[in-house]
Amino acid sequence: MNKMEKALHELAEMDELAAGTSPIHGLCAPAKLLTTIAYIAVVLSFGKYQLSGLIVMVLYPVLLFQISGVSVGSFFYKLRIVLPLVMAVGLFNPIFDRRILIQIGTVGVSGGVISMLTLMIKGVFCLMASYLLMATTPIDVLCAALRKFHLPATLVTLLLLTYRYIGVMTEELAVMTEAYALRAPGQKGIHVSAWGSFLGQLLLRSMDRAEELYNSMLLRGYHQHFHYAPVKKCTGKDAAFFLGCTACFLLLRFVDLAQLLGSLFVR
Amino acid sequence: MHMADALLAPAVAATMYVASGTAAGISIHKLKKEDDPAKLPTMAVTAALVFAGQMINYTIPGTGSSGHMCGGMLLSALLGPQAGFLSMVVILTIQCLLFGDGGLMALGANIWNMAFYGCFVGYYLIWRPIMQGKLFAGMGAKAGQRARIILASILGCVITLQLGAFSVVIETSLSGITELPFGAFLALMQPIHLAIGLVEGLITAAVLVFVYESRPELLRDVDTSDKAVSAKRSLKATIAILAVVVLVVGGGLSLLASGNPDGLEWALFGNAEEGYSENMGLDEESFGVSSAAADTAGAIQEKTALLPDYAFPESESAVGTSFSGVVGSALVAGVAVLICLAGGFFRKKKAGA
Amino acid sequence: MIEFKHVDFSYEKDRPVLRDLSFRIEKGESVGLIGANGAGKSTVMKLLLGLLSPTSGEILVDGVRVEKKTLPEIRRKLGFVLQNSDNQMFMPTVYEDMIFAPLNYGLSREAAEQRVDAVLQKLGLQELKHRHNHRISGGEKRMAAIATILAMEPEAVLMDEPSSALDPYNRRLVINTIRELKQTKLITSHDLDMILDTCERVILLSGGSIAADGPAEVILRDRALLEAHRMELPFCLAGRA
Repeated sequence: MNKMEKALHELAEMDELAAGTSPIHGLCAPAKLLTTIAYIAVVLSFGKYQLSGLIVMVLYPVLLFQISGVSVGSFFYKLRIVLPLVMAVGLFNPIFDRRILIQIGTVGVSGGVISMLTLMIKGVFCLMASYLLMATTPIDVLCAALRKFHLPATLVTLLLLTYRYIGVMTEELAVMTEAYALRAPGQKGIHVSAWGSFLGQLLLRSMDRAEELYNSMLLRGYHQHFHYAPVKKCTGKDAAFFLGCTACFLLLRFVDLAQLLGSLFVR
Repeated sequence: MHMADALLAPAVAATMYVASGTAAGISIHKLKKEDDPAKLPTMAVTAALVFAGQMINYTIPGTGSSGHMCGGMLLSALLGPQAGFLSMVVILTIQCLLFGDGGLMALGANIWNMAFYGCFVGYYLIWRPIMQGKLFAGMGAKAGQRARIILASILGCVITLQLGAFSVVIETSLSGITELPFGAFLALMQPIHLAIGLVEGLITAAVLVFVYESRPELLRDVDTSDKAVSAKRSLKATIAILAVVVLVVGGGLSLLASGNPDGLEWALFGNAEEGYSENMGLDEESFGVSSAAADTAGAIQEKTALLPDYAFPESESAVGTSFSGVVGSALVAGVAVLICLAGGFFRKKKAGA
Repeated sequence: MIEFKHVDFSYEKDRPVLRDLSFRIEKGESVGLIGANGAGKSTVMKLLLGLLSPTSGEILVDGVRVEKKTLPEIRRKLGFVLQNSDNQMFMPTVYEDMIFAPLNYGLSREAAEQRVDAVLQKLGLQELKHRHNHRISGGEKRMAAIATILAMEPEAVLMDEPSSALDPYNRRLVINTIRELKQTKLITSHDLDMILDTCERVILLSGGSIAADGPAEVILRDRALLEAHRMELPFCLAGRA
């Protein structure tokens, strides 16, 4: 499988996940979007040493994963792109910040280690939240929600049109890459002599495609306005989800549940 | 260069959203004034193409590494800065939402770092001045034009990538999440991105020169008035020019990459699948539950030591991590595991019924 | 209903694509437009739809000349099924694609949705309604593309290679669908068997002008004529020679 085929596979997977029927899938997109943003904002607002407070925030994604039935496995695969940069940045913390913050037995844990862990956990949690949003909400439904939040129609339409053609283009390139590889065994990528023409050829064809696409719009009476499927109305249930979750996030932000729980048992 | 949510404080993320949002607003306004209804489908198809095109691995001669294309320069050379910017916005949004590249909060910053510089700075300060200038005029109309395209692409990619990398450093430092001194961080990021920029510039130049040879009218600010002269020879000449530049750059890069067989991809911070397995290993360690499990182990060790000998350092009052915190975290992890078990149980029951 | 009067067309000077083309298609006729690659078939379609304008001559649809100011009126009457369904279906779902034209022509959402449902029902495609365009098979996509055009309720249906790249089952499905259409039909294709099944009249284009125009049964049986214009007898008529 080449990269493009993997990407196509990922797209198909997200589509399938989003087409599920769990209670989370049933919630309206604006409520889910706002809740996700609230979650990420709260997670990011934790200080760099507030590890125990942060860890409690795991409950939201865990609950959502369970209720929605989305598998955690495919989520881990997504981590591969973003996490390395987070790691690279975080890995320096233990080197520069060596003050011992807690002493566990004879082992002292430095501030740098804690802040590094905090950073990485933040990275994982935030990605989990947006992954859960996308795994339970089809992208066209999300776009309709964005339109509701008064995002300009141009941008939303462009997003949907692009999304529609990403599959088409990626597939075309996947086939081209395969065809190239078959005639160039042993080459890892595109040889320098084909740097320009490989993508260039497709680019020229794409321009013709864009023209045909536009013609097809014109022939069906297009005058600069796209009509999308009507958005599902948000109900009290959706509002309750958003408000309930946000209240919990805030509570967890200001009350260190882990600390509290722990102090019941220790000390 | 996709930044994750974790690298940003909410305030910085919000600021970058405002900045990118403003740029997008102005672009949409400008596009509406242009009133070219055919542009939208063209933008969509080109954006989709660039999205896919960025996945192509280009072999860099003389090294074992491969490079990728730079979307921002290509898009603004084809569509103009505003349409190019909006196309990049859409690409980055889709990457963020469906592929987990970057994050929902960091999207504003990522748009700024990658789309704004690539499209606006790249176009207004580099592409247009060079393309409209008289540079290389002595080489003849066509060869001069080609040389200008190559120069603009390379300069454009290098400079916009430097700006992008610089912004990543500033945004991360302002967010206060790294202990890495500003200067050291900068010294780490800029040279790597210089190399990446050179390679991206060459690849982008190759694509744009190809477009120029076949359909010059597709490119912005390219003078298409003069008749095309023997395209075949000129293509050869182009490849020759490219080859020379590539050799020089490739030589430099192989030095950089020598320590690591896939140096460039490593430098891209794991854009490669190669790094995947290692990353996965690390992921699971930093995943909440398992790290809490590690904490539990610590707690047990603590108990067996019988002397709960832990202490806060002097002034850090904001520190929320203490021994009780560790125990609490472990409890939370336990609850999380219970939820998982319960969920599995219920689903099995459902499937059975 | 459709009339070409002495139409000339060229993309570049001195390289005419169509030369003095004249023909008439009556209401309710189904006409196959055949010819080798480069004979000018697609150009005829594009001219008729007003995507190109003739260098000289005129084109009439229901007696109205195809020109800039009559385009909305004319395009409303003509439904064009593209060869590449991916280029035709640009909306996220089949339903949104089908409702695109009716809404653009000012129908209320309720009326438009009724129309969409009726077409889907007629073609037996109800199952496709809320499917994503990028997640349906090639055969389904072609049928959905025809459905989007029928939802416009056009007076004439133009089709560019409607049977290309389909498996035998889907090809037959498309052919049966075309046969049931009551509208005026103009179909270009290299699939002469399909033309024979769906059209009573055939116009043979060659080098930008009409080489033959007559009943499909006659022209498609004329081996000498077809071979003279770089074509072959339909398989079903060729026998096992």
